[in-house]
Amino acid sequence: MNKATEYAIEVENLTKSYGDLLAVNDISFTVGKGEVFALLGPNGAGKTTTVEIIDTIRTPTSGKVTLLGMDVTKYKHDIVHRIGVLPQGFTSFDRITVRETLQYYSRLYHCRNTDIDGLIGLVNLTDKRDEQYKNLSGGLKQRLGIAISLVNDPEVVFLDEPTTGLDPRARHEVWQVLQGLKKAGKTVLLTTHYMEEAELLADMVAIISRGKIIAMGSPVELIHNNADTQILTLQSADEKVFEIVRRIGFEPVHTNHNNIRIRVEHTEDVQQILSAIKDAGSFYRGLDVRKPNLEEVFLKLTGEALRDGYVEGGEAE
Amino acid sequence: MNLRVVFANLYVKLLSVYREKTTMFFTLAFPIILILVFGTIFMSQDNMNFHLCVQDLDQSKSSKESVEALELNGKFKITRVDPAVDTAQYVRDTKVNLVLVIPKGLEKSLLRRKFFNDFTASATVTYVYDPSSSSVSTKMDILNGVLAGINQEMSRIPPFLKPVSKSILIRKYRFIEYFIPGIIAMSVMTLSLFGAVNMNTELRQKGIIRKLSTTPITRTEWILSDILYQFTIAVVSTTLMLLVSYAVFDVNLHINAWLPAFISLDVFAFVGIGMILTRFTKEAQSAAAAANAISFPMMFLSGSFFPIELMPGFLQKIAKTLPLYYVNEGLRAAMVFEDTMAALRAAAIIGAFAAVVFILGIIATKWEEGQ
Repeated sequence: MNKATEYAIEVENLTKSYGDLLAVNDISFTVGKGEVFALLGPNGAGKTTTVEIIDTIRTPTSGKVTLLGMDVTKYKHDIVHRIGVLPQGFTSFDRITVRETLQYYSRLYHCRNTDIDGLIGLVNLTDKRDEQYKNLSGGLKQRLGIAISLVNDPEVVFLDEPTTGLDPRARHEVWQVLQGLKKAGKTVLLTTHYMEEAELLADMVAIISRGKIIAMGSPVELIHNNADTQILTLQSADEKVFEIVRRIGFEPVHTNHNNIRIRVEHTEDVQQILSAIKDAGSFYRGLDVRKPNLEEVFLKLTGEALRDGYVEGGEAE
Repeated sequence: MNLRVVFANLYVKLLSVYREKTTMFFTLAFPIILILVFGTIFMSQDNMNFHLCVQDLDQSKSSKESVEALELNGKFKITRVDPAVDTAQYVRDTKVNLVLVIPKGLEKSLLRRKFFNDFTASATVTYVYDPSSSSVSTKMDILNGVLAGINQEMSRIPPFLKPVSKSILIRKYRFIEYFIPGIIAMSVMTLSLFGAVNMNTELRQKGIIRKLSTTPITRTEWILSDILYQFTIAVVSTTLMLLVSYAVFDVNLHINAWLPAFISLDVFAFVGIGMILTRFTKEAQSAAAAANAISFPMMFLSGSFFPIELMPGFLQKIAKTLPLYYVNEGLRAAMVFEDTMAALRAAAIIGAFAAVVFILGIIATKWEEGQ
């Protein structure tokens, strides 16, 4: 049952349907041991369904999923001892403290020597060890969820949207914990709709949309292969700038705070735009030229934003 | 099956409810409040006397003695109504449900019968009553009995049929002692049914069940811990109910092995029903509504509060199809009548029911998200 393999996870032609709804549509990918693999996509893309099939919560409609060399539909009992899961929207028992919760989960895994205090320290919850779950903030709850997913010292960790709903500070604190996992050499399958999260943490990213993987590779590869342009942003530009840029053959886009965003292919294009604005006597308060990120890659590949509220050139949050 | 896992679950559940002070208080206090309220009502019923208004139109020595005799009977607390008062209006105005009117000429008729053996001489007492009152018929029945006794005595012929009461019980039991086993059965039912439904739908809605399904805990270990949890709560609740009953009402009940046996059968049966409901209801609110729909009719029809003999025939037949009826019967047989055979019969029926619904509950419990 447990064949030796270089891959922690192998997914072949996986499909999951609910009646007429095709949630996951014939996807295939592999995750190497010790690799952090991110499934990046908007809500409803099929990320969670895919992860829940791999971590044995759901059963596939068709296709084959092998985890640590074992078929997930046949060896659930053996698999659950070797994986750790942070499900989407994780919650725990309200009145149970951080320490008691970790002790409880450790017993469920039949572990007798779990270093509970070490785990609490790993996720920076030492000050909150005797706090009940209901009194923890969103970020602290997620960090507890990550600690729970590590109580059995798993070989593969599944983190389904670990930072969704957290404020930026709490998100960065969770990222620090996840970077610790990466350094510790854990295989991690992460789902997210935050491109910064995928770029920062993942060795490999699969972009998923409407149940299909539409691109896969390292973040650098994905950006290089799919977004060969640069982004020029003119900040607080006056009303004429938009028309001037359009007139010389570019496609400007209004973003928030009167900013204008222009996709350019060469550095010379930037000079041409700036000269045209100067010649026309118009002005802008500042400018920024940067390489595109996974958000733009996703936009280019699918024509839709990763998150509600995202607008080209910046976040609407 | 790993008992360490079962006890880890049991510990977390008990710790949660222990720290949820308000929930725990009301969970344990509700049956005690019922016992205190109904116990007080039934205790006063054991020594009940009715309020009776009497209008004496005769105002003679004999009529006055008759009213005093009614008072001495012990069943009535007499209020004398002025002879000039319109009794029908009096009933309406004062909200009393009955006025007994002693006619003018009572003493005269009595003397004619006594001294002249004139058996045509009689007196007609009138009940002026409000038929909308629920207790008036009982009051009239008692009065009829009293009047029959007087007539019998005046006839000077010894009665042919003489009733003698003989209780099937060695000692006289009070109604509260019949009531307590019913309340224990009913409380364990509601604790188990609502406990199973509320806890499992809440944990499912919160996603904790989904998280647990990614750990090695099995469905059997989870259900077993649930049963142990409900049983522990039921034992704590029953102990408190009995302590209050002994302390406040000085009850005399037989506490034996049947009590934990019926509690566990009660728990198994209603946790089983709870598990089935949890499977077929998506939201915690609809699950609680379904549990209410099952528990409320059962509470009132199965004889927890009052004997089913007071109900119409068809309702008695329905009562005998309800599982709680057999828990009530079994607990009363064990705790009041000391009737082992009756307890055994009830245990066999509720045991068979519990086994069926519990197995169905296990089958219905959905652990993985599945399909």
